[in-house]
Amino acid sequence: MSSVRRAPLETDVAIETPEHIVFRYRVAGPARRTLAYMVDLVICYGVLTVAVVLVVLAAGSASSLGNDVSGLAKAGTGVLLVALFFIQWIYFVWVETLWGRSPGKAALGLRVLTSEGRPIGFSHAALRNLLRAADALPVGNLLGVAVMAGSSKFQRIGDLVAGTMVVVTDDRTMAEPIRLWPPASPKELGRLPNHVALDPEERMALELFLRRRGRLGVAREEELAKMLVPMFAERFDLSPSHDDPVRLLALLYDRAQNAGRDEAPPSSRAPDRTESPSSPTKERTWR
Amino acid sequence: MALASAPTERAFSSRRERDWDELDALVRVAHDRGVKALEPGAVRRLPPLYRDVCGDLSRAQAARYSAPLVDYLQALTAQAHTVLYGAGGRAKADDSDRALQSQALGVRAMKKPSWAVAFPVAVRRHKKAMALATLLFFVPFFLGLFMTLDKPEMAFRIVPETMLRPLTEAYQRGFADGRGSADDTLMAGFYVNNNVGIALRCFALGIFGGLGSAFTLVQNGLFTGAVVGYVGSQGAGLNIFTFIVGHSTFELGAIVIAGGAGLAMGWSVVAPGARTRLASLQHVAKDVVVIVCGAAVMLFIAALVEGFWSSSSVPIPVKLVVGTANFVLVLAYLGLAGREHDRPRTELLR
Repeated sequence: MSSVRRAPLETDVAIETPEHIVFRYRVAGPARRTLAYMVDLVICYGVLTVAVVLVVLAAGSASSLGNDVSGLAKAGTGVLLVALFFIQWIYFVWVETLWGRSPGKAALGLRVLTSEGRPIGFSHAALRNLLRAADALPVGNLLGVAVMAGSSKFQRIGDLVAGTMVVVTDDRTMAEPIRLWPPASPKELGRLPNHVALDPEERMALELFLRRRGRLGVAREEELAKMLVPMFAERFDLSPSHDDPVRLLALLYDRAQNAGRDEAPPSSRAPDRTESPSSPTKERTWR
Repeated sequence: MALASAPTERAFSSRRERDWDELDALVRVAHDRGVKALEPGAVRRLPPLYRDVCGDLSRAQAARYSAPLVDYLQALTAQAHTVLYGAGGRAKADDSDRALQSQALGVRAMKKPSWAVAFPVAVRRHKKAMALATLLFFVPFFLGLFMTLDKPEMAFRIVPETMLRPLTEAYQRGFADGRGSADDTLMAGFYVNNNVGIALRCFALGIFGGLGSAFTLVQNGLFTGAVVGYVGSQGAGLNIFTFIVGHSTFELGAIVIAGGAGLAMGWSVVAPGARTRLASLQHVAKDVVVIVCGAAVMLFIAALVEGFWSSSSVPIPVKLVVGTANFVLVLAYLGLAGREHDRPRTELLR
């Protein structure tokens, strides 16, 4: 089997559940993960610095009262060394075992999962974080980033060994479906073919164009639409010199999307019916 | 036509969105406060809602609804999936695999060993790597020891003089007076940070075909040997021996074991056998993580013994007896604990 078409270059990874549903995660790239790492470092060393300053201030006031604090200083240094060890080796294992992500990752909307898309457990967290020592070589996590660049799931060495990946689970918005507004006039409907068959790429392209309309300049919008219209005009036997190419694309999309469906809007069925005004749009978000 | 009966996107989402909102709310609670924060009734609602939403996602994809709706359903399904399917899923599958295999071979099925037993079992499963690590540490150790006993000035080539001199003076003074508890805490902290760090790094660098572990083992063996040899050549041999005898089994043993785990991990990449390199690595990783955690526990014990016992003013014979007992106990634990889990035909069963 020699398929010429290569898999598209994507940063998505597909997960199949036991229900045979396939969904996709977006894997997190080096930039986002570096930022998350820095947030974690700031948290750890910030807490440590505040603690040390407080202890030093307390010791300072004690010694000004004439107490001997050299013993306290030594014991304090011992505790400080343990704290440094904790930050370097334990912190990530601990928080990722508990919540599947460190506070830094949570701040950037990241989560650690196994390569099969399951939540991670202690041994995953331990392996991927112990191997930070290898990823950190030679300086500033360079090796880890290089290995990530060569991996399809952006896995650093620790992720490869533990069989984990870091995915983005940030906000997603469920926008309302696109509505034709104002409703199609009988004249427009009469000019449309009854059956508009678009392949998935064409439909997606039209959808993206229509959703982005508001953010394109008016002139740019028309320019793009004019490039697209001749393609469809020929196929669906329309007059190529349409007065409003954007409107034509919207009509085509509407008919392709809704034709034949139950409760379809009038524009996809009969030529003469009146459409009720649209309800205010409602948006739902998923984190 | 297949789409003839499909509702419009608007009708579909308005009909189903009550369920989506319900699942959404449950999953948010489970993510923020854990599944245990959910009411019993809510927990019962979770699986049917999840299955329904899975179906909705399939329907939305098949009916080619617009991208934002499909994306939303994907995200909702994915989030619910992480709540419903725990990390334990795979381990349980492994267990049942093992049970099936044992059954097929006519061997008594074995439960997964507990952590306390899993450690020595995993260590014994990588006997060769452990033996190699022992050699890589102790050959340079004795080399350094005898070289510096013979020619003390050789030690300065291995260990900086500024570090050796105060160390030697400390050992010449001996520990008859003990040490203050503040010093004990300081030194215990130092040992935790330094020694456990060395052992964990020694393991992690094994990923490079075992070379990092081998290098760390040789380096630390030579270093330790040179320090002991130099201090011994300055006439404080008995002092340093009674100092290290209590904790050295834990400390040196753990470094060797961690290094051995690194070697095993590196070797799994170099010689993966019938598996792909990645699969071989991930397979060995399951044992290796147990070994490293065990070694880390040993090092914590070592740090406590070294900080609070080895430096105490306990009479020398007591220290020697306790040190020997530690050695025998650790060796017996590693060699004997959980032998019923050792599988002679491991390759077959794995």
